[in-house]
Amino acid sequence: MKILEIENLSKSFESKFEVVSDCTFNIKSGNICAIVGESGSGKTTLFRLIAGLERPDNGSIRINGTLMSNDKFIRDIKDRNVGLVFQDFSLFPHLTVKENIEFGLKKNKNEKVEKLLRTIKMENFPNRYPNELSGGQQQRVSLARSLAMDPELLLLDEPFSSLDTQLKSKIRQDLKEIIKKIGISSVFISHDIIDALEIADEIIFMDNGKIIRKCLTEDVFNEIEDEKIQNNMFELKRNAELILNAMKNK
Amino acid sequence: MFLKIKHFKRDFNKWTLLIIVLSLFLAIPIFSILISLFMGKGEMWEHITSYFLFDYIKNSIILVFGTGLLTFSIGTSSAWIVSKYTFRNKKIIEWLLFMPLAIPSYIVAYSYVGLIGNGGTFIEIFRDFGVSINRIEMMNIYGLIWVLSFSLYPYVYAGTRTIFQSYPSQLKHTASLLGVSNKKYFFTVALPLASPGIIGGLFLVFMEVLNDYGAAKYYGVNTFTTGIFRTWTALEDLQSSIYLSAILVVLVFILVLIIKWLRGRRFYNLKQNNTNQKNYNNRDKLSGLKKIIYLGILLFPILFGFILPLIQLLIWGIQTFDLMFNKNLIILAFESLILGLSTALFVIFLACILIYLSKWNYLKQFNVFSKIATLGYVIPGAIIGVGIIKTSKSLTDLFSFQFNLEIGDLVYNSILVLIYAYVFRFIAVAYNSIEGNTLKLSKNLSESSYLLGYGKIKTFFKIDFPLLKNALLSSFILVLIDVMKELPLTLILKPYDLSTLAVRAYEYAEDERVAEAALPALFLIFLIGTMITLLNYKLKEKKQ
Repeated sequence: MKILEIENLSKSFESKFEVVSDCTFNIKSGNICAIVGESGSGKTTLFRLIAGLERPDNGSIRINGTLMSNDKFIRDIKDRNVGLVFQDFSLFPHLTVKENIEFGLKKNKNEKVEKLLRTIKMENFPNRYPNELSGGQQQRVSLARSLAMDPELLLLDEPFSSLDTQLKSKIRQDLKEIIKKIGISSVFISHDIIDALEIADEIIFMDNGKIIRKCLTEDVFNEIEDEKIQNNMFELKRNAELILNAMKNK
Repeated sequence: MFLKIKHFKRDFNKWTLLIIVLSLFLAIPIFSILISLFMGKGEMWEHITSYFLFDYIKNSIILVFGTGLLTFSIGTSSAWIVSKYTFRNKKIIEWLLFMPLAIPSYIVAYSYVGLIGNGGTFIEIFRDFGVSINRIEMMNIYGLIWVLSFSLYPYVYAGTRTIFQSYPSQLKHTASLLGVSNKKYFFTVALPLASPGIIGGLFLVFMEVLNDYGAAKYYGVNTFTTGIFRTWTALEDLQSSIYLSAILVVLVFILVLIIKWLRGRRFYNLKQNNTNQKNYNNRDKLSGLKKIIYLGILLFPILFGFILPLIQLLIWGIQTFDLMFNKNLIILAFESLILGLSTALFVIFLACILIYLSKWNYLKQFNVFSKIATLGYVIPGAIIGVGIIKTSKSLTDLFSFQFNLEIGDLVYNSILVLIYAYVFRFIAVAYNSIEGNTLKLSKNLSESSYLLGYGKIKTFFKIDFPLLKNALLSSFILVLIDVMKELPLTLILKPYDLSTLAVRAYEYAEDERVAEAALPALFLIFLIGTMITLLNYKLKEKKQ
């Protein structure tokens, strides 16, 4: 079953340059999908269109079979049941960890918040303010806040870009563990292919607003016909070789 | 035309409609004047063009450029010194540099005549010491330039100081490493980089100069604003005063275009010092001859813009205390404050509505309406007043002839109309200030709230409002200060049984009872001075 169906989606801003150009793809329910591309490839705009934060020029979006938008209709943001973790986490600075997580909840607040705090391993910090947390902690709180709403689809905007390189691998695995434990369909965007290779089930490659390829993660190394993907793979391989050589020479 | 906008039907919503309706309602005075232009010239128009129009144009231009030059010199030099140097009692001097804003320019005008005019305080003091000095004739255009410059330089000072203080230290270090002297650094780097603040400040000065009525009237200088008043009240020709208003609006928009041109395509996005970095932006300590000269530069505007006028007002206040200090004066002060507070509250409320309607509206082309609603600040109060009078007259005639209803009391002589006029005049002050602060808030915050199931209004109260509290309070104070000082608009539109401290001081001065104007003026200065002090404190708190 498909959790996300995008058809002929396009969006341009005042410059008349199409930031998202005729994108068509779908994502299987229960999967973690990564959208990978360079800066300016249209990934974030695509995300914002799915979440309802931008209004498309053309095309349609369906989430779990329900129409979200097309040329004639746009479902309101709060009715889409989509969670979005922003790149800067966007925790409400004047609210505590607990207050941030329970922000969207109407009932069973305490029970749900306690469960989520345990899930993200933040049960000792419910009364801290965002400025008192590390980057990784802020990310987990932002994630918990989105998960509290039981969204059908979870979007994560560059979830690892603002983290220390040393912690990235651990955070990737932590995130994958949380998402798989909860069993929610997720899409995240990244400019770093390693993020995608480590945790995604399927990867979509984007360039200049267009989808250039979609494949399962395990098939990526076989799908290198396209030059853009090829460059990404070669960069990855080159860096991996450099690191390996440095370690060998120690 | 609008239906041809892509996705017009899909994206048109209640916010779009509201922004159009609210903006058009607020901008009624402008439309009223524009429509009136097509109704033919007034009876006295030929007389005005033959004998007065050239004077109005010439004097307005001289005033704008003269005041601009002087406020630029005073404002930028003071801003530079307080930004770059440290010295004893610096905090007090910084506060005092703002204080000329507490004294309305027409009150400064009266004070100077009292100080150095015929039989003036200084003349008498010197005479008591056996020194005979001639009076200095202030009541001309040069005296007016002097008075307005020392009243209004804080606008340039404030904007320029903010920019000077935000420079990253690396700029100066880079210049030093390249062998550039302090003087050359000031003229080739610091000053050009501060140009947005300087130009912004000068723009406010120009608008205040063109809006001035009391000082120009008292000094007998023919300007557009005095002309508009005279044509309407003395010559009883509303239509000709509208024509004068239209010419002044053209002059204002030429100034706006000059300002835009001066700003050009420059956009300086100076990277702020990262809080994780050490701040190497240490200020130099003033000493020796440099200290005397620089302190002199700072004390000069404080003395002529605040201390001397205040001294004269205090002398008059003491002389007339028994006559003037009574229960009615206290009630007047209280009523002025209440009027100011209620207006400022309305202004903040409406400014927030306009700003957030613009954010929530999907058809961004319609946001131009909110810009129209904020034109009031560039339009002198006299023009707004005339525009409203004209609208009131048209409405009264319409209801009388068409529906046989007399609504004169609703639209004339009504405090609601006065408050409406204040809102139109000052909404730009609040709008620009609050909008600037909303832009500093990450839009992801409100978007997160929408994604968590909150609607737009609930998000505003839960997320934006708590984070904007300080900005709203600062804007509130700014508007309150402007409302309490406002004279031309109040004179035209106030109900007969209402007065304000500003109007009372003016009325006494016009009646040649300048000394008796002192106590209402001092009450006004005290209230405004308190507001300025509070604003200064809030801004410092925010900075920390």
